[in-house]
Amino acid sequence: MVRKIRKAAVVGSGVMGGGIAALLASAGIKTVMLDIVPFDLSDEEKKDPAARNRIVKAGYDHLLTIQPALLMQPKDIDLISIGNLEDDFDQLADCDWIVEVVVENLKIKQDLFARIDKIRRAGSIVSSNTSGIPLKAMSEGLSADFRKHFLGTHFFNPVRYMHLLEIIPGQETAPEILAFMADFGERIMGKGIVWAKDTPNFVGNRIGVQGMVKTMQLMVSEDLSVTEVDALFGPAMGRPKTAMFKTADLVGLDTLGHVARNSYDLVNDESEKKDFILPDFFDQMIEKKMLGKKTQGGFYKTELTPEWKKIRKVLNPATMAYEDWHKAEFPCLAAAKKAKTPAEKLQAIVYGDDKGAVFAWKAVADQLIYSANRIPEISDTVVEIDNAMKWGYNFEMGPFETWDAIGVKQSVAKMENDGLTVPEKVTQMLAAGVESFYKTEDGKRFFYDFDSKAYQEIAVSASNISLAALKGAGGRVKSCASASLVDLGDGVFCCEFHTKMNALNAEIIQFLNESMDYVEENGVGLVIGNQAGGMPGAFSAGADLVQVGTAARENRLEEVDAMIKSLHEVVQRETYSPFPVVAAPYGLALGGGCEVCLAADRIVSHAELYMGLVEIGVGLLPAGGGCKNLWKRAVTTIPANVTDVDLAKYFIPTFMSIATAKVSMSAAEARANGFLGPNDRIVFNRDLLIGEAKKEVLRMVDQGYAPPVKRPLKVLGAAAEGMVNGEIFNMLSAGFVTEHDAFLARRIATVIAGGDVRTNSEIDEDVILSLERAAFVDFLKEEKTLARIENMLKTGKPLRN
Amino acid sequence: MRDAYIVTSVRTPGCRRAKGAFKDTRPEDLLSFILGAAVDKTPGLEKKDVEDLMIGCSFPEAEQGLNIGRIAGQIGGFPDAVSGATINRFCSSGLEAIAQASLRVMAGWSEVTIGGGVESMTYVPMGGNLPRPHPEYTRMQADLYASMGITAENVAKRYDVSREAQDEFACNSQLKAADAQKNGHFTEIVPTPAARYVQTADGTYKRETFLQEFDDGVRATTTVEGLAKLRPVFAVNGSVTAGNSSQTTDGAAATIIASEAAVQKLGLKPVAKLKCYTTVGCKADEMGVGPAYAIPKVLQMAGVDIKDVGLFEINEAFASQAIYCIRELGLENDMDKINVNGGAIALGHPLGCTGAKLCATLLRNMRDRGVKYGVESMCIGGGMGAAALFELCD
Repeated sequence: MVRKIRKAAVVGSGVMGGGIAALLASAGIKTVMLDIVPFDLSDEEKKDPAARNRIVKAGYDHLLTIQPALLMQPKDIDLISIGNLEDDFDQLADCDWIVEVVVENLKIKQDLFARIDKIRRAGSIVSSNTSGIPLKAMSEGLSADFRKHFLGTHFFNPVRYMHLLEIIPGQETAPEILAFMADFGERIMGKGIVWAKDTPNFVGNRIGVQGMVKTMQLMVSEDLSVTEVDALFGPAMGRPKTAMFKTADLVGLDTLGHVARNSYDLVNDESEKKDFILPDFFDQMIEKKMLGKKTQGGFYKTELTPEWKKIRKVLNPATMAYEDWHKAEFPCLAAAKKAKTPAEKLQAIVYGDDKGAVFAWKAVADQLIYSANRIPEISDTVVEIDNAMKWGYNFEMGPFETWDAIGVKQSVAKMENDGLTVPEKVTQMLAAGVESFYKTEDGKRFFYDFDSKAYQEIAVSASNISLAALKGAGGRVKSCASASLVDLGDGVFCCEFHTKMNALNAEIIQFLNESMDYVEENGVGLVIGNQAGGMPGAFSAGADLVQVGTAARENRLEEVDAMIKSLHEVVQRETYSPFPVVAAPYGLALGGGCEVCLAADRIVSHAELYMGLVEIGVGLLPAGGGCKNLWKRAVTTIPANVTDVDLAKYFIPTFMSIATAKVSMSAAEARANGFLGPNDRIVFNRDLLIGEAKKEVLRMVDQGYAPPVKRPLKVLGAAAEGMVNGEIFNMLSAGFVTEHDAFLARRIATVIAGGDVRTNSEIDEDVILSLERAAFVDFLKEEKTLARIENMLKTGKPLRN
Repeated sequence: MRDAYIVTSVRTPGCRRAKGAFKDTRPEDLLSFILGAAVDKTPGLEKKDVEDLMIGCSFPEAEQGLNIGRIAGQIGGFPDAVSGATINRFCSSGLEAIAQASLRVMAGWSEVTIGGGVESMTYVPMGGNLPRPHPEYTRMQADLYASMGITAENVAKRYDVSREAQDEFACNSQLKAADAQKNGHFTEIVPTPAARYVQTADGTYKRETFLQEFDDGVRATTTVEGLAKLRPVFAVNGSVTAGNSSQTTDGAAATIIASEAAVQKLGLKPVAKLKCYTTVGCKADEMGVGPAYAIPKVLQMAGVDIKDVGLFEINEAFASQAIYCIRELGLENDMDKINVNGGAIALGHPLGCTGAKLCATLLRNMRDRGVKYGVESMCIGGGMGAAALFELCD
């Protein structure tokens, strides 16, 4: 039998249960979500099915309103059915995977699993999403078949957005079940798998919470403020913007306290227990219900003056009073700001000598030592711990990568100098002449394995291609400051952008052209993709406005005109070159970044896709074939035998997408908006995106790729102008748009419509490109457009003028 | 000119667009039914006696196209010799049709005609299926195509009609309609067969018919406070909401007009005469002011003082424009004469049917109350007003 998850069950409809159900549904899997019947029903209500489902219905309804959304698109909810644990328990009988996400109480979980054991189909998988209760205790006394199919699957909140999935094998879990769930988690649910052991709070929360508690303890002993700690432990050190205490507010102090107490109870070592004792102020905060975001106040809170002005307040733990927020500064932070690479930034902070630096060093040194001491207790390798912190806590680097970045040898010497006990495995590693936990050779990444005392290759699935590793191994066949062409093997090459936010510039356009020259000579197909970090990250946030803005200000519009012309040649070549071109967008794919994708033969997108033609925000229009290609994508869906069609019905949504700068909130939505077509693919795991795009190229080659034939395009023509003018008049009168918006939108309408031409006529698509170019240049003659560009460059926000 | 007598004036209920009782009933069915019902309600008259059917419709296309005036007559079982036409003047189409049907009789060209109106806003959307404003003209002047909501905002802004006044007016419209419903005043309604699609046990759908007896958009529980909570829909910082605008509605109505000779010959009972009808243009971007010009014009033509008019039906396209017109006409203190059973805010505004529908309501009220003169008026998209003066027969 080939194992499949045809139907899944999520027991528990809280934040995590709902999140898991939403992700499963978004991945196209039928999911039944169950929860308890409320305890407080009246006798009348006990007979009412709606009342009995009240709890699970609330969780279900929450999925439709929660922001940021957990479902990829609202209609995904159709795959979720609901019920309660008394009337609908038999629905678990035909589920292939049952995941338990109920309250963290051993007795309740034991009772639930005993019931599941009785009803589940033999061979079905059962897992617990517990964040801390030992699996062993939960499955005790259950059937052999149950124990063989039972494991821990620990997701992080919010499930859609957090990449980490910890898989915890039970003592008797069959290896093929573990392998199946790892593959399912990685490919279908898009998660990064970390192999954890059945130890207190597993990997991410064990390391993460120890780090938070210890830092809080140190904050008290070293006399730092909340703001100072957050300034240090934020982006400056490769940690998320929410740093330490804003993260605590987001997670909720009660949840954090619960995990810390659980670790305290379950770890055996007395000195380690101390690492999980939260400072007094933390307990006081819990007592006073200052739990963070959910109670409108934790370490931070925002107060409103009677004039509706927002004032940021921050807690002073010494006095338990809120004080006005002020930016914290240390010399080490100023030095880090000047540093270029993440490693240099870290070094500037931990090796500084001011109060902040001393504190940061102590906290970091403690965490590195703590992490090293947890191997092999909580996981076998440094890779698992690093991945857990990157994927579950959004750190840019895990502890061992951090250690490499600040220099293992140098930092160990400093630790020893401070009288800290450096784990033997690390001193032995140094003694053996190994000075880093990671290395890259021949395009492969290796980690230092304490067990075998040697480097081992990091095992990843075949589709998990690292461009950095390939480049490290000489896979870079061409490059310039803004982009590289990387050999993916099998004749497939990847054109990788590497500017800030992967913005397009003249150099990239030129390079893309040269890349296609290269592939035409030497390859079978091209992937346009990159692997810049960040969440959600940016495939390409658009065109570099500095170049365009400066040229316009200096009245060099003929240069802009020439640049657009060459851009058009390149995007048209993407479409009509004799080899397949596959775009692999993820995260932000805006403006020019979107246009590069629309011109490709196929799009293989990450599920998290924020795609849109947003040029109107800076007073421009899509002039990289965006107007033409979005329209083309709409009308080419009309079957050839449908000859009499009202093109206005296709025109209006296309026009509105561009005129209102509509951005999708997922790849599924981008498809609904007409940016992705029926042949474009959605990949849930970003780590596999380049690999899947490469596969797509090879598949297209294998199927005998022939480039599309350039044929005339049906356009709405002159009728569009009257329709749009009428509607713009309404929007202007209503105050929904400005005069400049109206000016831009009217012109954009004529471009998409193919200009002043007979309605429903067929025209050469190059006509639309010419109209795009002329409009782009004309827009740059407008003062208000230039003001919009300048505002965007200065503030990063669109100006409505 | 001869006298033309209205002998019957009836209507279907008005039902909410896409949600109401007529959402699955084609406009031809509504119209052919009410044409037949009008004849049935006229003792002595047979379908063959009618010469022509003049039918108002605002968007005569798709299901309402192909000359629905002729098609509905045929579906309704009128003999081949009974001709039919479709007449369009947007929101006064139904009144225009009654006026033209009357003129035919007054001129001596016909003995019996029917004027009526129909609109299924469910089947044909406001603006039609394929709106195509003129490209070059819109470059200069797009206001001819302005959305009706924008014109209502313009009236509110230009003539200081407050949100509070609009909401209060809207609330009163609902309460008057609810009261009239409760007391069974809407006797001009003929219970109308309606269709709905229902899913059967095997999963397929089938069409069922039922009888609809009442206007289904009335909200008896409306309060000013509730209306105040609604957001403006047409403009930033606007005052026009879904609650103080007319409802979009499906419906049909018919009025039978006969010459004195026909009345004598067939033994018909005259109810009223259309004494005078007129139209007048105004600015397109504030089309709602139309009645403020049309009503004085029609009264002057007829030589009747506004004080002698006992009842008014002034179409409530929007509370803002209705209030403005009432103020301009100096009728603020005569609210007991205006839209006494509520207006389009509660009962709906089925565009091309409205003129015919309000005629039925007005004549019934004139008869019930013994009022000699009644005025019907409405504003018209594109910037116009229409008004008609009716006189009750003794």
